[in-house]
Amino acid sequence: MVTAMDGSSMSSSADGLVNLEMDSQRTLYPYVTGSSVLGIKYKDGILLASDTGGSYGSTLRFKGIERIKVIGKHSLLGASGEISDFQEILKYLDELILYDNMWDDGNSLGPKEVHNYLTRVMYNRRNKFDPLWNSLVLAGVKNGKKHLGVVTMLGVHYEDNHVSTGFGNHLAVPILRKEWREDLTFEEAVKILEKCLTVLLYRDRSSINKFQIAKITEEGATIYPPYSLKTFWEFAAFKEPSKNAQGSW
Amino acid sequence: MEDMNLNAPHSMGTTIIGVTYAGGVILGADSRTSTGMYVANRASDKITQLDDNIYLCRSGSAADTQIISDYVRYFLHQHTIQQGQPATVKVASNLIRLLSYQNKSMLQAGMIVGGWDKHEGGQIYSIPLGGTILKQPFAIGGSGSSYLYGFFDQAWKEEMTKEEAESLVVKAVSLAIARDGASGGVVRTVTINADGVTRKFYPGDSLPLWHDEVVAHNSFLDILAGSSSPEPMST
Repeated sequence: MVTAMDGSSMSSSADGLVNLEMDSQRTLYPYVTGSSVLGIKYKDGILLASDTGGSYGSTLRFKGIERIKVIGKHSLLGASGEISDFQEILKYLDELILYDNMWDDGNSLGPKEVHNYLTRVMYNRRNKFDPLWNSLVLAGVKNGKKHLGVVTMLGVHYEDNHVSTGFGNHLAVPILRKEWREDLTFEEAVKILEKCLTVLLYRDRSSINKFQIAKITEEGATIYPPYSLKTFWEFAAFKEPSKNAQGSW
Repeated sequence: MEDMNLNAPHSMGTTIIGVTYAGGVILGADSRTSTGMYVANRASDKITQLDDNIYLCRSGSAADTQIISDYVRYFLHQHTIQQGQPATVKVASNLIRLLSYQNKSMLQAGMIVGGWDKHEGGQIYSIPLGGTILKQPFAIGGSGSSYLYGFFDQAWKEEMTKEEAESLVVKAVSLAIARDGASGGVVRTVTINADGVTRKFYPGDSLPLWHDEVVAHNSFLDILAGSSSPEPMST
């Protein structure tokens, strides 16, 4: 493989054919990654939750990363996946919100518009084989209407009453599907999220015990300070694994 | 012995560290640059100046980090002229991030930026592979850092004195050198605060001995001369 100064490269395979490859910029694989983000609609608005970890392969390298941010006046954005790409997306959104404010016309971008913008960004990058390696959760409330949606690195996008990314798709979604109801109170919604966060802590290797909950309502956005959850280990079978059989896995 | 692969790209296996303390920052690094299994430079300087008050710890590909630091030094110099005042640590770190992020498919560079400016005091920014930027009270990087996560979890404290912070950094690099084949040589530190910049140099023999390491001598003959029988080998 020979790489020229302009980034283009050529390689020849065993049968002698030459393959010209234009490698402008491609995220080939992620380096520093965040794990699941959870979102749930409740009576007054929407709650998002995530842990504050940034993994570097299998190492739990960074433990204080805020993966949920406020966007404009009406939205929250949570991200899993490559943190450098998330930081870049935040810069794109800064620019978007800035231009929106410059109009100075009393109107402001709502969550639906931001979700649509992100969908276009992610899908167009996917088409160039140069994805932003993230799964995004966009939540917001404007004029009484709640919006909760997901955009993935492939450009897949959807909305629902409760959403999850990464491992959360497998572990949290079944819990959310069973326990979600219309008009949950703030306390009920937090309890459901914490149930999901605990399961992810037990069963997702890339999760850490340091979480952030964020709330968005018509009044505004709040990102609460990080906190940890207790875990339960006092099952008899855990304490005496060999009681009923030789050894234990 | 297997082929030493003397044409492998120069890579700094490396241990790099940056810590903040009560008045500024301390940057530390080992000094080994390897080409495959061969040590191409045993006394390299991995702590590079970007500006009077801002330094960069480099790990990964030697070529990549050298060219990145050259570009950023050049941009920062222009920026200082245009602004009419010294560049901030945040600006220098973001320039490193931009080059790292925008060329992520081609670069192998893990870097730590440390410096002092009058707006925010001492700051450390970590910029690992991929171009993520994170401001941290302390940062570790390079292959040797794997051995230091547990050490820092236990030994790190906020608001240390300059002396405490310096000895923490030297101890840490020395521990990493003990276990990481890709780190070695001397320990270099750079201290940056309101009063300026100080470079220190700790040669191998001045470092503490860790598990299963023994005291250095000029010759076995000195040991023989010093006692009636040679030191017995322990099992």
